[in-house]
Amino acid sequence: MGARTPVQHDDQRPGSNLTREEIHAVDMQHHGGGKIASRWRLADLLVIGLVGAAVAAIVSFAGEFRAPYLPAIQIDLAPRALPHYVLYSLVRGVAALSISYVFALGFGLAAASSHAAERILLPLLDILQSIPVLGFLPGLVLGLVAVFPGRNTGLELAAILMIFTAQAWNLALSFYQSLVSVPEPLREACRLAGWRRWETFRRLEVPAGAQGLIWNGMLSMAGGWFFLMVNESFQLGTHDFRLPGIGSYMSVAVERGDHAAMTLAILAMITMIVAVDRLFWRPLVVWGQRFRLDDSAGEAPETNRLLELLRRSRWRRGTRVIRRGAARTASRILRPIQVPLKALPLPSPYGLGATLRRFLVYLLIAALATGAAWGLWQLVRLALAVGSAEWRAILAAAALTFLRVMAAVVIGTAWALPAGIVIGRSPRLSHALQPVIQIVASFPAPMLFPLVVLGLSGVGVPFGSSAVVLLVLSSQWYILFNVIAAVASAPPQLAEAADVFGLRGRARWRRLFLPAAFPGLVTGWITAAGGAWNGTIVAEYLQAGGALHATTGLGSLISEATAQANFPLLTGGVAVMSVIVVSWNRLVWRPLAHVAQTRFGTTQ
Amino acid sequence: MTASTTTTPLLEAQHVSQQFGLPGGHTLEALRDVSLAINEREVVALVGPSGCGKSTLLRLLVGLSRPSAGEVRYRGSPVTGVLSKAAMVFQSFALLPWLTVEQNVEMGLAARGLAEMDRHAAAARAVELVGLAGFEGAYPRELSGGMKQRVGFARALAVEPEILFMDEPFGALDALTAENLRAQVIKLWRDSATSVSSLVVVTHSVEEAVFLAGRIVVFAANPGHVREILPNPLPYPRDVRAEEFGEMVERLHAILTDTLLPEPEHAAAGAPARLVPFPRVHVPEVMGLLDYLGARPDHSAAVFELGEQLGVDYDRMTAVVRTAEQLGWVTTPGEVARLTQAGQALVAQDAKGRRDATRARIMDHPLFARVLGMLREGDGAIDDDELMADLTIHFPFTKAPALFRTVVEWGRYANLLDHDNSSRRVVLTDS
Repeated sequence: MGARTPVQHDDQRPGSNLTREEIHAVDMQHHGGGKIASRWRLADLLVIGLVGAAVAAIVSFAGEFRAPYLPAIQIDLAPRALPHYVLYSLVRGVAALSISYVFALGFGLAAASSHAAERILLPLLDILQSIPVLGFLPGLVLGLVAVFPGRNTGLELAAILMIFTAQAWNLALSFYQSLVSVPEPLREACRLAGWRRWETFRRLEVPAGAQGLIWNGMLSMAGGWFFLMVNESFQLGTHDFRLPGIGSYMSVAVERGDHAAMTLAILAMITMIVAVDRLFWRPLVVWGQRFRLDDSAGEAPETNRLLELLRRSRWRRGTRVIRRGAARTASRILRPIQVPLKALPLPSPYGLGATLRRFLVYLLIAALATGAAWGLWQLVRLALAVGSAEWRAILAAAALTFLRVMAAVVIGTAWALPAGIVIGRSPRLSHALQPVIQIVASFPAPMLFPLVVLGLSGVGVPFGSSAVVLLVLSSQWYILFNVIAAVASAPPQLAEAADVFGLRGRARWRRLFLPAAFPGLVTGWITAAGGAWNGTIVAEYLQAGGALHATTGLGSLISEATAQANFPLLTGGVAVMSVIVVSWNRLVWRPLAHVAQTRFGTTQ
Repeated sequence: MTASTTTTPLLEAQHVSQQFGLPGGHTLEALRDVSLAINEREVVALVGPSGCGKSTLLRLLVGLSRPSAGEVRYRGSPVTGVLSKAAMVFQSFALLPWLTVEQNVEMGLAARGLAEMDRHAAAARAVELVGLAGFEGAYPRELSGGMKQRVGFARALAVEPEILFMDEPFGALDALTAENLRAQVIKLWRDSATSVSSLVVVTHSVEEAVFLAGRIVVFAANPGHVREILPNPLPYPRDVRAEEFGEMVERLHAILTDTLLPEPEHAAAGAPARLVPFPRVHVPEVMGLLDYLGARPDHSAAVFELGEQLGVDYDRMTAVVRTAEQLGWVTTPGEVARLTQAGQALVAQDAKGRRDATRARIMDHPLFARVLGMLREGDGAIDDDELMADLTIHFPFTKAPALFRTVVEWGRYANLLDHDNSSRRVVLTDS
């Protein structure tokens, strides 16, 4: 290195002014590897190993796509087959997440581009968010299997897209919100710098949204696992579709009543979730801190050991060299074109570009409107195909399921609210428990359903009531998590004030803890109710102990309609569920959230 | 520079107006028929109360937005996009937190067609110029406010602009840092090594305008328009302790006072005759002013001295004085604020007496009289939205939500009206 050594913030340890080279030197002494003179180190081996594993997994999975089309693949319940299945499921989840990110970026850009687009796209997202995965299933599966006849590609794509439908929407909303809250001066600075659209997107908008995208990606990944069993093995009419993966492993184990295999599958799932969390999300969250928009320099940045290890490895410099080289080659090739391009004036924000953009936006809106009209027409056609007796059955089932969902939310609240308050008010407890709860919350509850149902029916609980227990299982964590977060973020002075003015016992709960928890409680309710509605599809109709357990309800109606390929009934059921979820959101949750924010928000 | 080049201004706004659409189909008129020329080799300062459209005009001049009416011309030809010959420094710095100092400074260079090597060289020059050498690899988060704004200046200078726009560039800095940077900016402008020909600065500080500018453009609000242009021939570098400097500050003070606190049309102080917006100030601010004046032997003080002594900027100070004047507690002959009989009586009262006195005064104020009338018509209650719409229609130059909050605050204090947060209505207090 030359006379001036640039010290990069991220390479520097807090409180030291060592350069990267010096840190290297110090590390070498500490780790006793001085002899190799920092040529190859553990970090490099780790990186190579991880990259190799990822490549191998993708290549192995790609073979899946070319495999001949076998609707009901044989699942091997032997323990040694399990890692393979876990890997397949993981690659599907990651693939779906990648598609979700692309969708989120495109959606955010489109929705933030004009008020007209915003007015159409945001409600559309709201509706899409409320449609349970099974609503997308028949269309995706039948369509894609038809597009790739004789090969597994269609079914694989359908499975990936079904996971996508559980992951994409909150990412899209998060990116849209980041886009509209980018401070205006930053946008002006980019325009003054003459940045084109693409550069502003790449260097301003994506970084500004990065923290939200990472955080929501973590939630999405967990949400994507929820329907893993359904996504990988389901019945559609006379066809039994099955894909190799941990979800189908679990379903087969349940079908055969193989308790050892079930336990193994659950353990494998936990291992995968913990591994992904430790190896991927945690380092990513810490890395994402550099994209904070607020300027708080005071608080010490969080650190992550894996991230530190990666930072010290040589791969960063390696990729930098490759990137520089590629950029240089590209600019050399492009130079003949660049010169005339540079002679052109800078793009005008309200000239041709704006007209073109407006045209594109209108085109998009027209396309969406056409699509919506077509969808509405199809809905009407299908609805007409549903007889009045069936409509009555759907509505009766909806009423029952509604009661179950509400019961689940009430039961979940009854224990999670006090527990969340107790954990949240103690920094030590919440610090220790939060990562654990996060892992527990991202575990797909439906994998536990068969075991729970068998246990409950063993003590004589009717299935109609155990369905409520299953719904509690799939929704309670959201309440707990959000209540902890809300209570923990309340200003500590409030607790001090309560001490000084002698608020004790019940008064303390009524005046301090409950109001402080309320905003979190409402957020928790919204997510929990969503989770419970989704859960009904699995909870009211499931295989356990070699028998089919079903109870009257909208969820079981949808599941049954799918299994029997009764598409008019399926459409009717899904439509009713979406209408209930959307209107409940509009009429109850949203006003409640408004009250929570304006009256009980502790930050003003 | 030859004489002929001075005949066409460098940049010129011709009869520009700017309106913004508000939700509900209303419009906010920010600027009306403003004409202003920026000549070569000059520093122009834009001063005036907040909401008078200074920053709006700045953005029109740079080409960041386009006027609703009128035209902006650069060397005689219409400006249709962001001026590539211009650069801007922001009050909030507007640095990208994920880019290093060097990357931030290089932001505008690629689009101006510089090769990678030239970009590094230009950035290094700019960084050196503002005294940031050695900080190239730092992230903005690691820097103090003053250092951040130096990055802002380096980024602006790196593109070698002809005109440098500054939107309250020292507003977010502490006094010492601001003074240091101000002096450096003038040095850079006078330095022939830089390309900068003209500076346009929006500022809240009278001293800053006099220190920097050769011409000071005073704006008035409702809607924003140019009130007066004050030439400032003091030779550079300017000495803030010089007698002439002080005189210039006094002159600008006088113009601003006249703009912000115009002599009442009728002789008697007190409630204005027509419907005027109530200044957006809080009850304790006005009470504080009255107490302060009441404690002085002659019950009066020059408005700008008040601002300096109380640590309030002139914009805010005049708004507080204007409120006290509207309520008849203060008169403002010339640049002086003086307690009236009613004001002296109020200062002598206890908390309850002050509320009663405010109630009596405020009922005669045209804006409150109107709101109270609406409340009586609506059987003692009206919806927030209805009142907000009424305010928007009657005060097209004012932001209605802020005015609404002010009306509620004073109405509550005077025990005239209350606001029901859950039903979102304003209700009459029964008494």
